[in-house]
Amino acid sequence: MSDVLVEERVLLGGTARSRDDAVREVGRMLVDAGAVLPGYVDGMLEREQTAPTYMGNFLAIPHGTLGAKEQILRTAVALVRYDEPVDWDGQPVRVVVGIAGAGDEHLEVLGRIALVFSDDDRVASVLGARDARAVLAAFEPAHPA
Amino acid sequence: MSTKTVAAPQVSRGKAAQVRLQKFGTFLSGMVMPNLPAFLAWGLITALFIGVGWLPNGILGGFGDADLPGAWQGAATQLVEAEDGTTFHQYLGLVGPMVTYLLPLLIANSGGRIVYGERGGVVATIATLGVIVGSTVPMFLGAMIVGPLAAWVMKKVDSIWDGKIKPGFEMLVNMFSSAIVGGALSVAAFFGIAPVVTRISDVLGKIVELLADNHLLPLMSVVVEPAKVLFLNNAIGNGVLVPLGAQQVVDSGKSLLFLVEANPGPGLGILLAYTLFGIGAARSTAPGAIAVQFFGGIHEVYFPFVLMKPLLIVAAILGGATGIATNVVFGSGLVGPAAPGSIFAVLAQTERSSYVGVILSVVLSAAVSFAVAAVILRATRRRDLALAAAGEMDGLEAAIAQTEANKGRSSSALNALRAESDVAHAAEGHAAEGHAPRTRPIETIVFACDAGMGSSVMGASVLRDKLRRAGVEGVTVTNTAVAELSDDVDVVISQRNLTDRARHRAPGADHRSVDNFMKSPVYDDVVAAVQESRRQAAGQEATP
Repeated sequence: MSDVLVEERVLLGGTARSRDDAVREVGRMLVDAGAVLPGYVDGMLEREQTAPTYMGNFLAIPHGTLGAKEQILRTAVALVRYDEPVDWDGQPVRVVVGIAGAGDEHLEVLGRIALVFSDDDRVASVLGARDARAVLAAFEPAHPA
Repeated sequence: MSTKTVAAPQVSRGKAAQVRLQKFGTFLSGMVMPNLPAFLAWGLITALFIGVGWLPNGILGGFGDADLPGAWQGAATQLVEAEDGTTFHQYLGLVGPMVTYLLPLLIANSGGRIVYGERGGVVATIATLGVIVGSTVPMFLGAMIVGPLAAWVMKKVDSIWDGKIKPGFEMLVNMFSSAIVGGALSVAAFFGIAPVVTRISDVLGKIVELLADNHLLPLMSVVVEPAKVLFLNNAIGNGVLVPLGAQQVVDSGKSLLFLVEANPGPGLGILLAYTLFGIGAARSTAPGAIAVQFFGGIHEVYFPFVLMKPLLIVAAILGGATGIATNVVFGSGLVGPAAPGSIFAVLAQTERSSYVGVILSVVLSAAVSFAVAAVILRATRRRDLALAAAGEMDGLEAAIAQTEANKGRSSSALNALRAESDVAHAAEGHAAEGHAPRTRPIETIVFACDAGMGSSVMGASVLRDKLRRAGVEGVTVTNTAVAELSDDVDVVISQRNLTDRARHRAPGADHRSVDNFMKSPVYDDVVAAVQESRRQAAGQEATP
């Protein structure tokens, strides 16, 4: 996979227990990676207020509002997996993918994640992966595109 | 239209031609109508600021000498030759660039959009610049040919690699393919189309010259009026009629040739007919256009009204011929060119013994063109209103009807949507005008979310995969921010709480809401709808 999502930004066993804390947790990783300014995390929280980013199948993809886009320094994606579901406006979330998308580089990664999470069997392989490397491997295309 | 073709395969040839002419008229109107404000703006600026205008201004009108001491500095100028052979910097002004570049490019963009959405519009505009600078003749005809053609070429080129681009590279490929196609077409138009239009203009001028030489004067209208609405009026007026007229003035002190193109009567008649019997925006714009045309002398503002209903050229021709015949009968004429062709300029140039004939020629030509235009507009009014109601002016309504037809039943949700659209339309007026009823297969699906970087990307990927698995090709699935949504797509999918915003941005599209982007029953509905729309389109094409 490209350097948009790398092992250092895959965290297994996140500690947040609420939606907003989970957003801050994954947002922190994007800030630490030098991908966004701290203000971007506020944009992510704001976005959850207006339109939660729960996607279905245990997946949420918090990202900033259109207005927060200028807080993005470079495109990056971070992933946090939770052992216990986090309550996301009444929906159970186990995988949180934080997105800072400045250009189009993240589209391919997101597209792959989307295809994995639209397929129940492949969702199980992400939820059951033993380490970060295995999580990333689960997103590799199952069949040549 | 589809049901008619299917139910009655032996439609008479005349009927089929009529349908085609109507569709062509709708297409022309779609290219011209949205740009009417630009025509009027140009007309007003021209009437005010040119040398013979009401507030002559050398800087804005583009005839002032920028080299004079104390002249306004910093504006765009061009080097021109003065009468004494010296050169000086002359202001470019607003008038010339607007008619040379702005208006044809706007027409090209609208034409391209009709054929292939925003992308088509951009490619059409790029290509049309080639035809504009490839000739010194105003390129309205060129824009109307090159614009839609360029968009069509782009559409065909895109279909070559449609669905075969790696995810994530669509943007890159799309940007560069349209840049390359647009650039190449502008070169092709420069060398390929521009000389053809120049040639057409020359030939028309030759014909007019021939008719004048052979005293078949009223017949000149058959050439002059169509040439006028294609903006070749100056080429024929200044290039042919004015020199011939000047010759006649030397011989007999006056010439009616000055009035052939400059007579404001035929245009006045057509605009009056629109004022009384037109519909929608055309009707409400016509009175303003009369002021610019008849008093300001900028005939160009009535050309769009003819272009959107090409049959009206008959009214212009008969009106023009009446004016010429009147002047022949009365032996009346002008002593010099009336430019611009306003009623004041015409009267100012009228030869002293010719007032009766000249005034009658204007009045009678206006009366004849009004009468003919009124008959044409009234005859087609009912159908135009029906078309407007059915969707030509209201994309949303048509989309709802189409969706219902596809489903074969009326749903309460769609009725609610329709009610909402009525409200939106009361507020928006004719903002959605120019939309053809959606009877073509679904080709573009857009996922819209707030920022265009997350949910919509995921949804688009999943749906793209579903379409691929279903073996559907030739459907573009993209993602965007709601705020950047444009109204040239077939289906818009958005999160439930964003659907209202999306609907306002793209009233012409079929809107679907999803809660779960990963696994939504909506995806299967959309795949089925795409397949169904293709089957229908294939059925239509298969029927002769």
